[in-house]
Amino acid sequence: MNENLDPSRRRFLEHMSTGMTGVALSSLLNQELRAVSSGQTHFPAKAKQVLQIFCPGAASHVDLWDHKPLLDKFDGTPMPGDAEVTFQGKNGNLMKSPWPFITAGESGKKISSLLPNMAKHVDDMAFIHSMSSRTNTHGPGCIFMNSCFARDGFPSAGAWISYAIGAINENLPTYVSIQDIRGEPPNGKANWGNGFLPAQFQGVSMAAQQPLRNLARPASIGPDAEMATRDFLKFINTEHAALHPGNDELQARLSSYELAAKMQMAAPEVSDLSKEPNHILDMYGTNDSNKLKAAYARNCLLSRRLLENGVRFVSLYCASRASAVDGLLNWDAHKTLKSDYERHCPIFDQPTAALLSDMKQRGMLEDVLVVWCTEFGRMPTHQEGTSGRDHNPDAFTTWMMGAGIRGGVSYGETDDFGRRAVVDITSVYDFYATMLHLLGLDHTKLAFYHNGANRRLTDVHGHILKSILS
Amino acid sequence: MRLHPFILFVLLFSPMSSMLANDGVVFFEQKIRPALIEHCYECHSSTSEKLKGNLLLDSKAGIEKGGDSGETLIRPGDPDGSYLLRVMKHLEDGMEMPTNKPKLPDAIIADFTSWIKMGAPDPRTGVVLEAKRADKSWWSLQPLATEFAHDSIDDFISAKLSEKNLVGNPPADARSLIRRMSYDVIGLPPSYEEIVAFEREYQKSSQVAVAGLVDRLLASPRYGERWGRHWLDVIRFGESHGFERNVIVEDLWPFRDYVIQSINDDKSFQQLMIEHLAGDVIGKDNPSVEVGTAFLVAGPYDDVGNQDAVAKANIRAATLDDVITATSGAFLGLTINCARCHHHKFDPIPTEDYYRMLAAFEGVTHARRSIATQAERKALEDAMKPLNEQLKQLELEKGKIEAAIEARAKAISEQTKATRPKIDLHGTDEAFEAVEAKYLKFIIHGLTSDYQDGVKGKKRSGQGGKLTEFRVWSADPPERNVALATHGTIATGAKSATAEDFPEAYGPQYCIDDALGEAWFIGSPSELLLTFPSVETIQRITFLNARGDRSIDDSKVRGSTPCEYEVQVSIDGKQWTTVASDEGREPWSPAHGIAKARRAMETVEEDKQLADFDKQIQKIRAAIAKVPKLPQVWAGTFVTPKEPTFVRKGGDPMKLGEPIAPSSLQVLSRIPVSFELKPNAEEGERRLALAKWITHDSNPLTPRVLANRVWQYHFGTGIVDSPSDFGYLGSKPTHPDLLDFLACRLIKNGWRIKSLHREILLSKVYQQSAAYHEDFAKLDKDSRFLWRFPPRRLSAEELRDTILTVAGKMRLEPMGGPGFRLYKFTQNNVCTYFPLDVHGPETYRRSVYHQNARASIVDVLSDFDLPDNAFAAPKRANTTTPLQALTMLNHSFTLDMAKAIGDRIVGNKDKASELGVAITNAYRIVFQRDPSPKEIAAASSLIEKHGIEAFSRALLNANELLYLE
Repeated sequence: MNENLDPSRRRFLEHMSTGMTGVALSSLLNQELRAVSSGQTHFPAKAKQVLQIFCPGAASHVDLWDHKPLLDKFDGTPMPGDAEVTFQGKNGNLMKSPWPFITAGESGKKISSLLPNMAKHVDDMAFIHSMSSRTNTHGPGCIFMNSCFARDGFPSAGAWISYAIGAINENLPTYVSIQDIRGEPPNGKANWGNGFLPAQFQGVSMAAQQPLRNLARPASIGPDAEMATRDFLKFINTEHAALHPGNDELQARLSSYELAAKMQMAAPEVSDLSKEPNHILDMYGTNDSNKLKAAYARNCLLSRRLLENGVRFVSLYCASRASAVDGLLNWDAHKTLKSDYERHCPIFDQPTAALLSDMKQRGMLEDVLVVWCTEFGRMPTHQEGTSGRDHNPDAFTTWMMGAGIRGGVSYGETDDFGRRAVVDITSVYDFYATMLHLLGLDHTKLAFYHNGANRRLTDVHGHILKSILS
Repeated sequence: MRLHPFILFVLLFSPMSSMLANDGVVFFEQKIRPALIEHCYECHSSTSEKLKGNLLLDSKAGIEKGGDSGETLIRPGDPDGSYLLRVMKHLEDGMEMPTNKPKLPDAIIADFTSWIKMGAPDPRTGVVLEAKRADKSWWSLQPLATEFAHDSIDDFISAKLSEKNLVGNPPADARSLIRRMSYDVIGLPPSYEEIVAFEREYQKSSQVAVAGLVDRLLASPRYGERWGRHWLDVIRFGESHGFERNVIVEDLWPFRDYVIQSINDDKSFQQLMIEHLAGDVIGKDNPSVEVGTAFLVAGPYDDVGNQDAVAKANIRAATLDDVITATSGAFLGLTINCARCHHHKFDPIPTEDYYRMLAAFEGVTHARRSIATQAERKALEDAMKPLNEQLKQLELEKGKIEAAIEARAKAISEQTKATRPKIDLHGTDEAFEAVEAKYLKFIIHGLTSDYQDGVKGKKRSGQGGKLTEFRVWSADPPERNVALATHGTIATGAKSATAEDFPEAYGPQYCIDDALGEAWFIGSPSELLLTFPSVETIQRITFLNARGDRSIDDSKVRGSTPCEYEVQVSIDGKQWTTVASDEGREPWSPAHGIAKARRAMETVEEDKQLADFDKQIQKIRAAIAKVPKLPQVWAGTFVTPKEPTFVRKGGDPMKLGEPIAPSSLQVLSRIPVSFELKPNAEEGERRLALAKWITHDSNPLTPRVLANRVWQYHFGTGIVDSPSDFGYLGSKPTHPDLLDFLACRLIKNGWRIKSLHREILLSKVYQQSAAYHEDFAKLDKDSRFLWRFPPRRLSAEELRDTILTVAGKMRLEPMGGPGFRLYKFTQNNVCTYFPLDVHGPETYRRSVYHQNARASIVDVLSDFDLPDNAFAAPKRANTTTPLQALTMLNHSFTLDMAKAIGDRIVGNKDKASELGVAITNAYRIVFQRDPSPKEIAAASSLIEKHGIEAFSRALLNANELLYLE
């Protein structure tokens, strides 16, 4: 095998669509993969772009999205069955959500009263209440949610998608990961890593509070000097290329400098939120007195601008990592659920809802698939000695909306208390099989040879969640 | 096509059995075939969209052959022993067929039972499609060839070239050759002067010149740094644990130095690999051998900890899976790890092989251990013994005095009557006469957690406590809390924890936020200072450390609370008046009471006595601290497991199958050596047996894989293009006979690779030019058959090392030691790595010494495909992105180096006559050649307008710097 050494991406995609992944893929490893790809898909796509909103720390399904009336009723009583020992230890009795749920939208969806603004969007959302994870630990959980593997080293979904269909606008990164002002999510950069895919497919880290690294021309160099340096560089590179025929990389590198220059023009322009009118800024809350909320709101607005300008995949994080206090920097409410979520929800609610409204009003949801995720759910019981909840990998909620998604539906169910997904149990593989499907990609055919296996985003699993598709 | 013996049997003897067969065939056609088509073919036929379990049921031969389970599907005449029927009856866990569908009707199962009883007659003639997988006849599993058609590398290559209608290039010019060889062997460019000297020698005698160069390069300590880095890629070496905490590993560098040293010493790889797997066994008390076991634990490691037993077992399984993956990939070029849950889907590796290997590693714990000679251990013991004895004696004597005081204090404390209740975690009030205050201080003397550690004494820590709220009440009605931030009050105070990326965390402002969620982590000095917006008249304070009202159980949350304190107020911030304290309150615990009594009653004499003891104890402790401790290395610890190893069904550590002994792998059952230990064999014996088996001269995989790696790093691509996968999904060798030839050479050389380097470097194929020919490129674009020397881009390390070298900033000596960092490391429970904007001179070392943390980004290295090493990276990616251009143009490292080059080349930049000299110098330094007149003209005009650094910045970005041929 493997005598076929034709490296072109087009050829590669042909192989993908005929199922001959193994043949062409390992030979591709030899080859330089171009930064710009053809954008070809397996079949017509319903979505062109993805906005992933990620609330790290395991945002509690039973306190936000998954209403469990019986939890109110049996509050303070033992959960049926043996007392469980979970991530941090023993569990106490069932504990109702500290906040009432409200009825929202025409669909009558029940949603936590902590999310009054998000409630306005329920008719456009498809909730998946029956998610389950394979790990009860945040770091592996986050990368599992992002890459379908609970171990570092696998490409994140955004990297897979960049690899498969590439850029829409070459002057901006294809895949941008926007971190919260409070820091990186659990497992850090592995969440937007390229894994074993070439480095060009990794998520590029930027945020309203943190511009793209090395983007700006150094202050000590004036525009004329920059221009002259680049001209001279182009001259010596062109001379060099002429003496070295048959090396495509040389030309690719010349182009990469041109692209870099374009990116230097485009990225600051896109990141400049000052161009937005006041009513938009206010809608997002970019000047809110809560500094954390204002910072997240700016990142929401940046997300819209990036998507508007053709970034393929945007990951937007709301909250960050574990610290010396559980639930301080992220949604990991082990011990003080009430005060933790009364801090996190106001940061999340208005800016996210504004982003969705803004995108909808601009017609962007025709092209953009929006997904909300977290790494797993939380226990319906309280953790012994605390008023918080421990990790629960057996049930959590995610939702999708926008391009290709049927709104106002709820897929799958957890049991009476939200302890386990029981109806239409859904995996992260299913989640991404569905995302790839909407992007026109067959999740069983998008593959890359690595260390002895043709690896896929969805590993060897995955079913498309057809009932949430429009 | 090979005929299955059974088919042959049917063909030969069918006439005799025709009568019987006829009835059976009718039964098959009426009952069995329709059922197979309806219920099984979807997943198990040659037309299946997705063939499951590699099992074909649409031909007799397919049934005979069976699938990945390895089970015999049909035992004619024996329905109970027929696996096919067992899965249909749902008697096999996890194998209930048809998958995800209800059990087939009893009538169908009865038909299959009858059919098997009949002898399972099957008239279908279709043959099994060629398996899309390897069996034990797979090329890489065969013994090494011993006889060869050629006896030099060049002859093998030429033969293949002519077979492919290709012709090799003539020799490269001397300059290209020395640049190629230098980068290849030592990872650094030669200087212009070295090139000129070499060119001169080469002209006299190319052979002598090249042989001398090769000797010089291979003898350079830089060689081990370059080739050691290759090996570190292969064995997934990384210096942080990865996963959520991603803690940096500070004591793994001795292993990196050991690898570099071993390569420089031309240590036998047989020896090296045995040391990696069992260095502690063969080299007890010999640090330079023992340190090798760091290989086992140098991969990602999840150390978060988990109370959930199942999760814990899964994490442990994943930890050892990394060791198995690393071992099988690096040494054997096999993906044993793919057989964790089932038999390998493409290679003849039964799932048992995975657990055979696991049995060898089950006693490995990811941990650090001291690595030292016996003499060092003895010296430490000798030094410590008298000190420890003195310490013990002093503590004993001091303890006697303490006990006497303590007894008296206890008696007093028991008689002391408190006038007020003890503090209340849900809110302690202290009222006082109305007083004016602009400032208020809450001075914390003691905490509820004091005296808990059993240490007796009167000292209070006041450290490590928390406070959720601190309220100050106005004197004039209605009583208002004037401490609130919303009122304009400011809280200041030291904190005991920090989060660099979230400065607000743990701060005293949480005491005045009117919310019970977050607490101030009380630091040192333990004082909360409130500054009111204006002078307030106040009469009461309340402090608390609870997380909710009394209905909430927060016993595991709140932490330690202040219980001994003073409240002071001031108008000007200089004169302070104490208005309240804990005086008269019931002590938080008896120990608090005793300590308080001691403070009141302990005599000056006793104080002095105890202080004297403390002084002496302090002195001994200082002496102990000064004794050099044994070096610790993250090299693993080892304990023989209590339980035997079991096969785990579906890879699930909760589903144990048969016990399995540490033993050699079945995938290589054809090689003459094997081993099988007792299931309870001693731990070290297991790893050593595996190591010896892996590196045995008769094991064909290990030397093939190693020889291929050497070839790959010389030519850019291996003879096998998938260097750690010699299985079915890997690529096949372009020159299988050459590969075996090299492997035999390697063994003959005692598994030392320097002579293999020499043989390759001295070959014509290596020394040929990289000249391009369109016709040949059409046939073999990437020169896999080596009609030209394949040009390449420098690796991340080569690029950075080159820049430092040409800038004259590279510090080559001393080699080794703790690594440098191009990131800022921070830890606040979990670790974060921030790439540095400025690289200081302490980083001007070879890139192999960078402390490569997992999931970190370090600009120039990461941009140019330095692998993350979450997995082994036996082959690096090679990308071109605009982000590389941005880094190379704009990172301060480039500017610093551009300036350094400028300083190197310019004597007096004002003199136009010297500009040409400077430009020539620059070209000689950076590209090791003279510039053309055209280049001088272009450079001059750039320098004249924008200065020398604009010019050197451009040179550092040039393709000529980055590409090599």
